[in-house]
Formats: sequence, structure tokens, C-alpha cells
Amino acid sequence: MTLRRWRVAAGGVGLALGMTLLLGTAVGLAEGLNLTSRAFTPYQTCTITATPAATTAVNDTTVRQGAPTSNFGAITTIRVQSGVGSNNRIYVHFDLSVCSPAIPATATVRLATLRLFVTAMSAVCRTLDLFPVTAAWTEIAITWNNQPFGTALNNPPTASRTGSFAVGTPVGCQNPTTGTYITGGTVTADVASFVSGGSTNFGWMIRDDVEGSATTRTETFSAKELGTIAQVPQLVITYVTVP
Amino acid sequence: MWRRFAGLVLLAGAAALPGAAASIALTTGTLGAATIAAPRCTTAGLTVFQNLAAGTVVSVTVSGLPAACGGAVAQVTVNNGLANSSGTNTVPGGGGAVTVTITAAVAVSAAEQTDLVLTGP
Repeated sequence: MTLRRWRVAAGGVGLALGMTLLLGTAVGLAEGLNLTSRAFTPYQTCTITATPAATTAVNDTTVRQGAPTSNFGAITTIRVQSGVGSNNRIYVHFDLSVCSPAIPATATVRLATLRLFVTAMSAVCRTLDLFPVTAAWTEIAITWNNQPFGTALNNPPTASRTGSFAVGTPVGCQNPTTGTYITGGTVTADVASFVSGGSTNFGWMIRDDVEGSATTRTETFSAKELGTIAQVPQLVITYVTVP
Repeated sequence: MWRRFAGLVLLAGAAALPGAAASIALTTGTLGAATIAAPRCTTAGLTVFQNLAAGTVVSVTVSGLPAACGGAVAQVTVNNGLANSSGTNTVPGGGGAVTVTITAAVAVSAAEQTDLVLTGP
């Protein structure tokens, strides 16, 4: 019995000593901490979708040269057209303040993509240009005659575009099929400027790269008024808050 | 009886060890001095597009991933302000694209926040 008690006591002392050594080792490790970390890559994305159909967070419309004083903000399609006396331009705007959480002004925008669902296109590949709008407009009042960029054709010049994408059925065209969202609507620099406060967000105007085509060329997209969530315009913004 | 007691002592000691480690006292100055930035597998602009079904987000496709992110685990959380749902998938070895299915569909709203974290490789 006595022997057994001594063994237990010795074991207790040994355990205490072991814990002391362990703690001592832990302190030593902490002071000389050497970690091998794995890559950790965080991104945040705000996807703005033009829904419901009556939302005012997204505005999309067409202005038509052939109906210069009419407003088309309530129709279910938007379109770009090049033709003699029948050019059409799209105006689209996304309110970035609907993003929750808000995108910090200090965020770094890695990629911003304008997504339009194409429903009809030309038999030739047409380049559509994106221009950030520099003045306010409203979906219910804008017309060909009062549009911010004015009525001169091919204005603003192609050189000032901030993005472009190609649409048309020929093989090899960037967006050769209907019934899908277009690719290539990259607007990263514009959105970065909106987020940082470098410029004011009045949306974009989209026009054919060469207006006034002898043969009328039309590209048609779904508008928010269509009410079909899987087709309405989107703006997808991917950013990081810690570069 | 003593053997049982000794066993209890040993068990108690073993149980105490993680507690002692978790509450280890370190000087903050030393710990702060050891702070380092976590490496990233990419700083590229990744496309993060929602895949929809019946007005809900059911999965998210991340593309534009470089080979340096191959093998990383992609964790995605979609939040529409009212509900959120997450999922994970592994990035292909050569990078490219990965589709992450979330556990519960999230209704499309005016804006959804999608958080993406690539852990590893």
C-alpha cells in the first residue's frame, strides 16, 4: 500500500514536471514562432440585378434617331442599331448604393462586368462601344434629342470608349449566339472610378462602333421591364478590401 | 483503487494541457512583431457569376483562375440580405473555372453579396 502511494506521488510529480517542461517549450516556440501559412485569397462580389421590373436601382432604355422625341423607357427590350437615319443607342445605369455591404471607397475593384442578355443579332459581327455617361438622365424622359451625348453620329469618338464587345452570328465573333448573356462587357476602370469617387456614376451609353450603316444592323437585348430574372441586365463587381 | 486514482490524475492532467496551451501568456509586443501578410494565389480579376434557376441562385461559377490557384478550396457564400447559403469545391489543378453549388438556393434580389475565399494550395 505504501509503495503504491509513493508510485502515485512520483507519478504526480512527474506529470507536473512534464507540464512545466511543456509550458516552457510552448513559451520558447511562441518567441521563435515559425509558421508555414497557406495561401488565403478573399474576394467580394456585388451582383446588381435589374429586378423587380419596377426597380429604380437600374435604369435601361433605348434612344432612337427615327423617333427623336419619343421615350422608350417602358418597353421590354433595349437595342443598338446602325442605319441611315435609324441609329439606336442604349443607356443603362446601375445604382451602386444597393450593394450591401457597401463597397468601400478604398476597395480595389478587380473586375466589373456589364451583362446584357442578347435576344437578336446581326448577320455580321458588329462592335458595340461603351462610354461612361457624364450627365444625368432619367429612364422616363430621355430621348434621342435630349440624350447627354447629343445627336451627332459616331460621337463620342471610338477612341474615348472605355469598353467594347462584339456581337453577330459569324463564326469567330465574340458573341455569336442569342439566348445568353454577352461576354466582354468589361467596365472595371469605370466602376473603380465610381467607387473611389473619381467620377460620378451616370451609367453607360452603348452605341454601334460605326453608326450610319448603309445596311441596318440591330442587336437586341432584354430590358428589366421584361421581368424575367434570368435575362435582365446585371452589373457584377468583384473587389477586395485588402489588396 | 490507487490505480484508478492515478488514472484520474493522469486524465485530469491530460485534459488540462489544451487549456493551458490555449491560455498561454505571451507579451503582445512579441506577438505583434511576428505579424505577416497571408500570401494570395492570385490578384487577378476573377469572374464570379451566379447560376440561376427559377429566380434563385443555385450555384456560382468562378472563372479566370490561374494555375497558381489549382488545388485550392473555393468557399462561396451568397447573401441577399435576408438569407445566405454556402458551398465549397476544389479548383482544378490547372486553374480555369470552378462551379460551387450552394447548399440552399438564395432568391435573386436587387443585389447579392458573394464572398469567395480560396484557401491554399
